[in-house]
Amino acid sequence: MMTLLLALALLWPLGVAGYTLWNAYRRPATQRGYFSLLWLSAVWPALLLAYAGEAHWTINAWMLGGEWELNSLSRPWLAFTALLWGLAAFHAKGYFAAEQAKAQAGDQDAQRRLLRLALLWPLTLLGNVLLIIAQDIASFYLGFALMTFAAYALVVHSGSDEARLGAKAYLILAVVGEGLILGGFLWAAGEADTLTLQGVREGILVAEHGSWMAALLCLGFGVKAGVIGLHVWLPLAHPVAPAPASAVLSGAMIKAGLLGWISVLPLGSEQVSEPLAQFGNTMLIAGLAAAFGAALYGVFQRHPKAVLAYSSISQMGMMTALVAMGLVAPEVWPLLWPGLVLFAAHHALAKGSLFMGTSISEHLPRWPLPLIWALLALPGISLAGAIGAGMVSKWGVKSPLYEMHHESLIKLLSWAAVGTAALVSVALWRQWQQRHKGGSNPEQWGAWLVAIVAALLTPLWLPLPAGSIEMPPMKEWLGIVWPFPVGVLFAAIGWLLTRPLKGKTLPAGDLWWLYAGVVSAMLVPIQAFGHGCGRLKSASVVTAQKAEETLMGHITRLLSGESWLRHHTSGLMMVLAVLLAALLMWEGQR
Amino acid sequence: MIWRFGLFDSTFEPLASTHWALLAALGLPLLLGLFAALFSPKRALPVALASLPVLASGVVLLAAFEQAGLLRWQWEIAGIHLSLRLNGLSVLLLLMTQVIGVAAALYTPGYLRLSETGPLARWLWPLMGVVLSALSLIWLATDLLTLYIALELMGLAAVGMLMLSGKVPAIVAGMRYLLLALVGSLTYLLGVALILGHWGRLDLQGLAEVIEPGPVAWFAAALIGAGLALKAALFPLHAWLTPVHENAWTPVSALHAALVIKASLFMLLQLWSILLPETFYAPRVIAWLGMLAIVWGGLLAWRTDSLKTLVASSTVAQLGYLMVAFPLLLGPDIAPLPRALAWEGFWLQLMGHAFAKAAMFMAAGNLILATGESTLKGLAGTSRRLPLSLLVFGIASITLMGLPPSAGFTAKWMLLQAMIITQQWWAVAALLTGTLLTAAYVFRMFRYSFDETAPRHRYQPLAPGMDMIALTLALIAFALGLLAHYPLELMHGGSP
Amino acid sequence: MIASFDAIAALDVIEVVLALCLTGSALVCLFDRHLVRACCFFLAFAVSMTLAWWQLGAPWLATAELLLGVMLTGPCFFYALGHLSPGASSPLKHDTFNEPWSRVAMRVVLALAWFVMVGAAIRYVIADMVYSPSEHPLLLAGVVIAASALGAFALHRHLLRRLLAFNILGSGVFMLLAGVAGTSAAAQALISVGLLVAWLGSMLGALLIRQLLHLEGVEALGRDGALKERTT
Repeated sequence: MMTLLLALALLWPLGVAGYTLWNAYRRPATQRGYFSLLWLSAVWPALLLAYAGEAHWTINAWMLGGEWELNSLSRPWLAFTALLWGLAAFHAKGYFAAEQAKAQAGDQDAQRRLLRLALLWPLTLLGNVLLIIAQDIASFYLGFALMTFAAYALVVHSGSDEARLGAKAYLILAVVGEGLILGGFLWAAGEADTLTLQGVREGILVAEHGSWMAALLCLGFGVKAGVIGLHVWLPLAHPVAPAPASAVLSGAMIKAGLLGWISVLPLGSEQVSEPLAQFGNTMLIAGLAAAFGAALYGVFQRHPKAVLAYSSISQMGMMTALVAMGLVAPEVWPLLWPGLVLFAAHHALAKGSLFMGTSISEHLPRWPLPLIWALLALPGISLAGAIGAGMVSKWGVKSPLYEMHHESLIKLLSWAAVGTAALVSVALWRQWQQRHKGGSNPEQWGAWLVAIVAALLTPLWLPLPAGSIEMPPMKEWLGIVWPFPVGVLFAAIGWLLTRPLKGKTLPAGDLWWLYAGVVSAMLVPIQAFGHGCGRLKSASVVTAQKAEETLMGHITRLLSGESWLRHHTSGLMMVLAVLLAALLMWEGQR
Repeated sequence: MIWRFGLFDSTFEPLASTHWALLAALGLPLLLGLFAALFSPKRALPVALASLPVLASGVVLLAAFEQAGLLRWQWEIAGIHLSLRLNGLSVLLLLMTQVIGVAAALYTPGYLRLSETGPLARWLWPLMGVVLSALSLIWLATDLLTLYIALELMGLAAVGMLMLSGKVPAIVAGMRYLLLALVGSLTYLLGVALILGHWGRLDLQGLAEVIEPGPVAWFAAALIGAGLALKAALFPLHAWLTPVHENAWTPVSALHAALVIKASLFMLLQLWSILLPETFYAPRVIAWLGMLAIVWGGLLAWRTDSLKTLVASSTVAQLGYLMVAFPLLLGPDIAPLPRALAWEGFWLQLMGHAFAKAAMFMAAGNLILATGESTLKGLAGTSRRLPLSLLVFGIASITLMGLPPSAGFTAKWMLLQAMIITQQWWAVAALLTGTLLTAAYVFRMFRYSFDETAPRHRYQPLAPGMDMIALTLALIAFALGLLAHYPLELMHGGSP
Repeated sequence: MIASFDAIAALDVIEVVLALCLTGSALVCLFDRHLVRACCFFLAFAVSMTLAWWQLGAPWLATAELLLGVMLTGPCFFYALGHLSPGASSPLKHDTFNEPWSRVAMRVVLALAWFVMVGAAIRYVIADMVYSPSEHPLLLAGVVIAASALGAFALHRHLLRRLLAFNILGSGVFMLLAGVAGTSAAAQALISVGLLVAWLGSMLGALLIRQLLHLEGVEALGRDGALKERTT
């Protein structure tokens, strides 16, 4: 039964993609619906699979030997990922309704874009599901690469200049990341002579250059997880991607990077070597820097989705710091990881509903505005840890740290939550500024509402090991809740302080512009060299042509000798006879 | 060297049937030509029927040689000794002559019907017959008198054939050819006079026994060499060749380029191997001229604008390959292996070129006939409309270029091997250059014909079989390369 | 052998006269620009040849020469000149083509070289016999005629004059052949074939010249080599 479900979970999205193609091929464009019920159902088998229990499969025929598993980690991961994908698909059906109408009216550009999205959406999903259940390197990498490259279509969907820039940034960094991951995997797998992720973990632990392998893999996954320095695609890609795509990008796919870290790093192992611990420290600092830096930069963004993207970076920074604790303080990890998973799941749903919310604020339904804004704010407040699942997840990571006496980190994380609160309030403010009338579809707001509920109630449905999560005790509530009002206050103060700037904001994508400048500066001498080569080539072509002309002239003149030969044939015959006779006589007389 | 030409006594007397076959091979072409002049055939079928006995005679002679080895005939008429011999080489050359001759004859009715040939067309048949009979006689004859008679007959008939088109350039070129051919024969006759005066005999077998190196042999060799070189269009005495072909009828060109000039070359090699068996420099002079011929002919063909001139100039270059082989065949101190290789390569090249050149002339003639244009530029667009003619041209070019699996390749391979063994690097370089130049002019021609932008002209449809005849000849050139074993064995056959 | 030697020695004077006649008429025929006169001298040359064959003791060759040379080849030239077709005024009187001096000088040098070469060859052949070249004027005349005729053949551009030069060259070669090889059956056969071919060639040549004159005019007769390529 489980195996059937597994096969269905993987084959169903593939079948949906195939059906989409077949549909596009068979039906005329004017009657074509891209988001049928079948399309919406692409993720359902995977969701079912997550709740069907733990299982393990070994399939030798699959590539280098398939090793798939649903364990205590991958089950909740698959659950929140699949749930988010499912909600986002519903949201997409509503979101793209207008575009689909345009396509049916005969807009070929819209047809092309929708077909691309409808085809690649299930494939991206397939990659995401595969990488979660995979426990062998080949499947994991296949899923990761499939997800990464298929998601390009989701980013570039609208085809505008900004979308192209965002997609370009996404693709460049994705290629860099894939290269790093592949290099790291090949190195680690070759060193440890293994084909499974478990083997990689053990290999990194004992290998001489384990920290370097870990660094390669971490940076590679870090592209997806938005580690500082490699995060630049997030604020560029998110504002331009359609809201449902942003939701899965920021909610589900970004978590794939986190899962990658957890899968390959020997977290919580007692024999962590000195260099690995060193690496863990570096990662910890990088995570905290991302958490604070992104918050500081993000509050100055104008586009709500850019603000939310920075919020994602900030949140991922926190999670990076928590993962790093698995290396720095291995003893805390067994207690910490359920909290981390809950944190990730809650962030996924909350950020998903926030991104879906941006589409709601752009197409406001006919509801009272305060209600809408209250609903929009709910996941944000939860994200800051003031209510619902957010509070539980905060406590879930805080309590193990308390137990192991890492108070300074707790303080830092709390201050980072202040940043989150500030970012969320800025995002809501920006949404308020950029609100638009114009009805939302029931699917659109329906999916959004379900996502909000799911986000607030995350601990209730997430299949975590029993007893690993508990409600925070009453006396700790204040310690968890305080960052939210402080953050809102900071945001208000900041708004008041920056009013004289008259809305001048920093560009989204921060370091991207630095990178682009550096690369184009480096390209200048190369371009100059290329131009030089081009000039050299054209010069030699001209020279060769001249030489050819001269040569041809010579040959033509030479060949006019033919008529001379014709005129003097008999004379030449006489010469030949005399010559031959003289030669023979001379030779004979010697 | 001399035994290779079959100049020794035979073991067996020819049978009666062989006599008849010989008579048919020598006389039938002439007789049929005269007959065709009376009832000029309008279709290829009667020609095919009439040429069957000719081919049969060749086959009978081949069988006779297979059975008995070398055969000789000798007559004495009024104190004049005439002699013929039949060895493997003669049989091969005889068969080649008959096949190409029959192909040309089969091609002729269609050609004459389609082109405006005028009243002189009737004369083509007897002249063709004379040429074929004389050629057969040259391959077989072993005395200088018979050779002289056959050479003159062939020369005069060839001149007559070439001028039948009656245009002014054809007459001017033909007149030049006539005068040069006659003077060439006289030069040859002067050499024969010296031989006759000194040794008092004309039969080659006897001469081969008595001739010793000395001034008379050298003078005679120089005169005979110069005269025959003029008739064989060896560089630099080749310049009369291209204008002659430029205006001649297609079957005539095919016969002439494939066979007539080869006859003079055959005689030259045969007589020099008797007169100058041990000379070092004279064959090298020929070889150096041959290298120049390869380059010169290739350049001429490359730069020309006329299709027929291209084909004719390529003959000059291809003769160069044969000339380059001279120092491997004649001269002192040549090891048996390279000599044998050069011998086989020489004749294979000669035969491969004969078939390929005949096919090429017919293909070119077909193209010119169909398009009505004789320039390369006029070929534009033929790739769509006349693919078969172009294919024949291409197959023939493969032989000329010496690409496998053609006879040209096998022959050049042998010549190259012999040259490398004897370390004649200049000859190797010339051979390779020639291949490149050949490729250059062939592809130039094809570039014009594959010009797809050309406007569609009305093409004259060709008579049935005209392309097929050319294709057959081109494929024979291919088959000679693929099945070279048998002809090579024949060339060697009959050693004493 | 001795008997024939005596006979030839006795007839020395006649032979010298004949040789002079032959050489003289050949040279006039080769180098006179007046074409009718050149053709007349060719007839004279052919008659002298007939006498020479008779003198050499070859009546069969004399008959052949008389028939082929005088009676058939000669009229060919007059036909080419247009003297045999009634009513047609002959445009051919003079050879008007001029050759550059360099060409003339080259041809003279070549003719001399040929003279030396053929002379040397004959000298080697006859050295084995009892003859001495100075005692054989006809042979000497043959060498002179052959060399000068070949030179003239290479020099002239006018087709009729080249045809004449070829005929003279042929006769010179036959004379040499008879001189070195005697009048054996083989030699006679060779010469007869040569005479026949010369006649056939001359006839063909004369026909072609008439045809060219008819089609293109006098200029076409000198259109050898370079000139032709320019015009067409």
